[in-house]
Amino acid sequence: MASVAAGPAAAGTPAVRRGLAYWLLGGGILLLAVTPLLGPVPIPWESVFALLLRGPGTVGSASSCGGVSVSAAQCRIWGEIVWQTRVPAMVLALSAGAILGLSGATLQGVFRNPLADPYLLGLSSGAAMGAALLFVFNVGVAEADILLPVFAFLGGLIPGLIVFAAGRSGRRSPETLLLTGVALSAIFASLLASFLLYNPLGSLQVSFWLLGGMSDATWTHDAIVVGVLISVGAVLALLGRELNLLQLGEDVAQSVGVPTQQVTLVLVLLTTVGTAAAVAFTGVIGFVGLVSPHIVRRVVGPDYGKVVPLSGLVGAAFLLLAWDVAQSAIPSIVLPVGIPTSFVGGPFFLYLLYRRDRLGGPRR
Amino acid sequence: MRADERPALAATDLTVQYRETTALAHVSLEARKGEIVALAGPNGSGKTTFVRAVLGLIPRSSGTVEVGGVRLETLDLVARARAIAWMPQEEALGDNVPLLEYVQYGRYAHSPRFAPERAADRATARRILSELGFGGRERSGIHELSGGERQRLRLGRVLAQEAPVLLLDEPTSHLDMGYQLELLERVRRLVRSQGTTVVAAIHDLNLAARFADRIVVLHHGRTVAEGAPSAVLAPALLRDVWGVVADLRRDVRTGLPYLIPSLPTMAAPPSPAARGLRVHVVGGGGAAAPILRALVEDGYRVTVGAVPLFDTDSQTAEELGIAAATELPFAPLSPEVRARHRQLIAEADIVVVAPFPVGPGNLANLEDVPSEHPRMYLVESAGAGTRDFAGGAATRELGRLRAHATALDGVPALLRALSATPRAAHGEPNDR
Repeated sequence: MASVAAGPAAAGTPAVRRGLAYWLLGGGILLLAVTPLLGPVPIPWESVFALLLRGPGTVGSASSCGGVSVSAAQCRIWGEIVWQTRVPAMVLALSAGAILGLSGATLQGVFRNPLADPYLLGLSSGAAMGAALLFVFNVGVAEADILLPVFAFLGGLIPGLIVFAAGRSGRRSPETLLLTGVALSAIFASLLASFLLYNPLGSLQVSFWLLGGMSDATWTHDAIVVGVLISVGAVLALLGRELNLLQLGEDVAQSVGVPTQQVTLVLVLLTTVGTAAAVAFTGVIGFVGLVSPHIVRRVVGPDYGKVVPLSGLVGAAFLLLAWDVAQSAIPSIVLPVGIPTSFVGGPFFLYLLYRRDRLGGPRR
Repeated sequence: MRADERPALAATDLTVQYRETTALAHVSLEARKGEIVALAGPNGSGKTTFVRAVLGLIPRSSGTVEVGGVRLETLDLVARARAIAWMPQEEALGDNVPLLEYVQYGRYAHSPRFAPERAADRATARRILSELGFGGRERSGIHELSGGERQRLRLGRVLAQEAPVLLLDEPTSHLDMGYQLELLERVRRLVRSQGTTVVAAIHDLNLAARFADRIVVLHHGRTVAEGAPSAVLAPALLRDVWGVVADLRRDVRTGLPYLIPSLPTMAAPPSPAARGLRVHVVGGGGAAAPILRALVEDGYRVTVGAVPLFDTDSQTAEELGIAAATELPFAPLSPEVRARHRQLIAEADIVVVAPFPVGPGNLANLEDVPSEHPRMYLVESAGAGTRDFAGGAATRELGRLRAHATALDGVPALLRALSATPRAAHGEPNDR
């Protein structure tokens, strides 16, 4: 730590940190404004904003489309696209990103490891396996619409619960638990592959789901994910003090009065439920949970009371940005959102690994 | 029993079993309010196990722990944290949090769940920081501290719990001497002013003796000694528990005992020939101490004279339980003491003259050694310079004795010469 005056909290001087905070805020607002403009169907920006300002509901005339001369029918279709596809997708990206960010920060705290992440713990591959299992039963497309999230959710719970059970019985180190997740991840991946052998036709559907996306978002999905976000996030954000104390080790935290077993139970369970719910509707999205807390820590320091809620905010912004990139990188094609997140997250993960080594081993 | 008569901490009959091995066997410890108890013992004696068993961090197979008369296991974690605070031996470094935040961690049990830290907690943390000498550094991060400072800060976190009982597990490990004393002195002062009870595992007996009101010594998971530092620090205990030979001294300023440990000599066990042989050592000023120790270890019956009270030789003699002719400090040898000295010489099979400094006051020590004594050894120490402060008289006396005695260089040579006694030569193997 070179600068003592700046305090230990974050890198750089307060001015730098404030600057960074403004950049993030400005970027977030810009993202919110730009996202509805993007999509495979080109709609003029005036129309999009006019439609947004009108609010949801039936579009009466062409004049609703912001002075662009189109037919009333065309305007109605645009209205549908904006309000039934683009806005729900945006809400889903924001809420799922927030859940992933919150969960990532929380898990990094619980496992006292900066590399923890719902993805790494096997939650995502569990969900993917659940989804693939569905295709073993050859369900129809209509049923799949409802059952896929359910199966993905249940599949995602499995590794979370196993890791949790491993942590409960006996005193296992955070490293062991983290590696348990990594091993489970590999096991579920191979199960996934074998399920797909039963139904090669399902593999296309699953593989697209595997890389994630917001294209299928509906207001119903949004309602569920936002509901989960609010209930899970409220508790996670309140347990910041306990997470801070867990960093001193379980025994010390206990001696200071923290019911570590219960806190760990609640945190792992909530992140599992939250992530499984998000992933069920978006598909597997890696690295949001890993990257967001690190960005936040650089700005506000190590206090989990701030890191967890702000990681939710940054996670939301990160996934929205990735979604925008996924929609606009190649014209008229929507990429799976897992591609941009992994493009950013993968190198960042490597950077963390090697920086950690340079600093002399794990942060303990 | 009134509340204030109850022990602040009562750990009764604690036993901890790890599969086959018993890490702690029926250890009990009571500490009064305001008392400082040191838990001493070599590595692996069960100190840390005891501390962790008291806290309930490891399962006990027997025993109860009461704090202020209340069974610890009946309390929830928050109430426990208010009753007893713990400073572990090792602790994860954790994140680079500001010092103030870190000390405030100790306030967890004092502020309601989910509530942001109260102003009162922050004030307590601030006060403790300044008491520990961190004033004005509240915002710096713990990673910026040195090892000693970090230990002090950890103490701050423990003090912030404001528990009536503190369990400190090797609070001074990893600290150099200055920091050790400083830290323990701070604990002492804070504890005295607040009537806190402290149980501290300290493997360094000297530190324990300076710091504690009472020492409990553990060995192989059992209590082997307990009492005031001056009563507990006995060379026999040191030998049995730590496997070291130690010189017991008294700190001139504090009057507290302290030890100078050394590994037992690797010499052969006493030969039967040595047993029963009586050796008198003429000494003073500490010159006889190593000889006395070596002879006692080798199984000789040893006497010493004539030495001033409180000098190293007489202290060593007292500690080894050796008969000695002693004189008041700085006084010339009186006729009575000289008579006693001559008697000891006469009764001895062997006389050893240590390389002690000779002045007018103790010149008589040499004069009282008769030239005709059958077996005499003069131990010299090469390169020690003159030890004649009697204006040539000492040199003269030594010359007289040298004519009848065997002159040797150093203690090992003396031991070799003694073991090659005429009696040992009669069929006693030397290399046993």
